[in-house]
Amino acid sequence: MLNQWLLIGILAISTYLSRLIGVVFMARQKMSPSLRLYFNYVPIAIIAALLVKQIFVPTDGQLTISLPVLIGCISTAVAIKITRLFLPSVVIGIVVGLLVRYFLI
Amino acid sequence: MIQKKETIKTACMEALPLALAIATYGLSYGVLATQVKFSLLTAVSMSVFVFSGSAQLVTVAMLAGGASLISVLLTVILLNLRNLLYGAALAEGLAPAKKWTALLAFGISDEPFVLATSRFKKVGPDPLYFAIVTGMFYIAWILAAFFGALIGNQLDPQKWGLDLAFPVTFAALLVPGLKGKPVIGTVLAATVIAMVLEYLKPGNELTIIITGLLAPLVGLYLHRRTNHA
Repeated sequence: MLNQWLLIGILAISTYLSRLIGVVFMARQKMSPSLRLYFNYVPIAIIAALLVKQIFVPTDGQLTISLPVLIGCISTAVAIKITRLFLPSVVIGIVVGLLVRYFLI
Repeated sequence: MIQKKETIKTACMEALPLALAIATYGLSYGVLATQVKFSLLTAVSMSVFVFSGSAQLVTVAMLAGGASLISVLLTVILLNLRNLLYGAALAEGLAPAKKWTALLAFGISDEPFVLATSRFKKVGPDPLYFAIVTGMFYIAWILAAFFGALIGNQLDPQKWGLDLAFPVTFAALLVPGLKGKPVIGTVLAATVIAMVLEYLKPGNELTIIITGLLAPLVGLYLHRRTNHA
């Protein structure tokens, strides 16, 4: 419980500082376009890494593919490509993942 | 006065569709937060004090994977680097707010940046516009977190497949942005790097940070190559 508040406090401060420093101190400096691009690519790299970590789960020191997660993610990816709707796509992925869990494994 | 009214009206109209989108992310965040043992109070508090979709969603997903406080913090710092860019780009447009700028800075993130830069280009500095847009996003974000956490608390995670909600949410966040070689290259590189790191040491604490640092270099390289070709 204490840890959650500690976490919230630390994240709140570090996130606010990143916003404030940008407005107050970085404004007059020319930032290189490369750095700009690099920063913009960071979130997608982190999201991809998170996905890998959730699809390949360590069991007894070995990596195994979680089929419900993998197939659920693919379903969501296809759904959002077609519908462009966030929540329905998430729900579709969960439902497909659940079906895989109960019927295939 | 008339001008002010006009600004308020425009800001509301332009922010509303995005506020709805933000609410759907917020709903997911709220549900996911309860899956890593956040209470209604702490889940909503995080939205009140942090107010960052990417930072909060990544945090709960990392906690679900058993990450430590320090690796969550380092990853969030890495994620937040782009706020420096946004702040720098928005500074001139927010300048008339004077001492209130420090307060407005709290609202800097992806969506307000997009809206405000196009507004400032059109009419020049306009802190009021920014304040209304971010205010609407803030309310949407907090309310959505509240309802998400409320729903999450009522459901049995295994039965409803809420453990599946983490990866699936990230797939939904990732896929719409996959446009252009550099971005796709970054994602492919990130996938390979993360898989290698996990293969070498399953459950690796550093996978996300190292991938977040290295994979964007591949995107940068691809961007340069396409531009110079």
